[in-house]
Amino acid sequence: MRQGKAGSVEEVRIWDPLIRVFHWLLVVFFVASWVLGEFGPAIMTLHIYSGYMICGLLAFRLIWGLVGPRPARFASFLAGPVAVARYAISHIGRREPSLWPGHNPLGGWSVMAMLALLAVQVSTGLILDPEDYINVGPLAHLVDIEVSRTANAVHATNAFLLLAMVALHVAVIIYYRVWKREDLIGPMIHGRKRVRRD
Amino acid sequence: MRLALATLVVVLTALPAAADPIDDSIKQRRAFFTLLGANIGPLGAMAKGEMEYDAAQAQLHADNLGQMAGYNPLPHLPQGSSNADRAGKTRALPAIWSNLDDFKSKFSDFSNAVANIKSEAGKGREALGPAVGKLGGTCKACHDDYRAKDF
Repeated sequence: MRQGKAGSVEEVRIWDPLIRVFHWLLVVFFVASWVLGEFGPAIMTLHIYSGYMICGLLAFRLIWGLVGPRPARFASFLAGPVAVARYAISHIGRREPSLWPGHNPLGGWSVMAMLALLAVQVSTGLILDPEDYINVGPLAHLVDIEVSRTANAVHATNAFLLLAMVALHVAVIIYYRVWKREDLIGPMIHGRKRVRRD
Repeated sequence: MRLALATLVVVLTALPAAADPIDDSIKQRRAFFTLLGANIGPLGAMAKGEMEYDAAQAQLHADNLGQMAGYNPLPHLPQGSSNADRAGKTRALPAIWSNLDDFKSKFSDFSNAVANIKSEAGKGREALGPAVGKLGGTCKACHDDYRAKDF
């Protein structure tokens, strides 16, 4: 612990156990879903089960974003445009750790973007119909075939958007490690992170 | 007189067809796939338990597929009838015509899977399931490469 003029820097627990389990389960099932979807067996039962897991994880994240511990709550990390711009212009390029207590203003929106894309992916997966009679989405019978067909197209395109967002996420984590000399992976494993208290 | 009538009938039936041979080809092959679907649908539903298994009914649909798998759809795939040429009317990707041999080999995979389901369909739901899976797999393999996801 170190005292300074800009506020004290201390190591605190920012990520609770459930959010950490959520994160790494999401990693597992995102990779599983992608690999099974792209290279898996023609009968995509496992892909669909993996999708159910992601659906459940999203439901948990939504609830946790409302009633979870402070760093997990949407209200605590969704910043306005001014804060986002300030972080993007004057913070992110600096060669020093952010010491941010949770998702920073830019990262918070990146999280929301990934969650939104995942929600699109799960819902289109539920109602799509590829017209091959074996991989019909479990709720496809509730909508018109035109809707199911469009959902199928969106599911395919959105998968690449998701992959791009995840690649960006990983790239930024590496950037923080290398350029800003701040480890963001450790905190997602053990929950503790060095933060500045103003 | 009979010749004149016959000529008239031929001309009249040919007229709408002559309007646009490419669009007609597209309609014809889509009708082919619609009919395929109408026979695979009940087999899939029986395999999944969404429809009660009926050996005679399953065999009938499998036999129908057998007839259709012997049909050569290439006349309905003229050059210039891809979704790049006729947007909104077909989902056939131009890749079909640049990989025609692979396209044909995927159709023969489908024919083999149909031959398989013909021999399995009447043997009970347990035998039908894997046969439907195999058949659907050949549908998917071709759709993945040669059919656009949407119009």
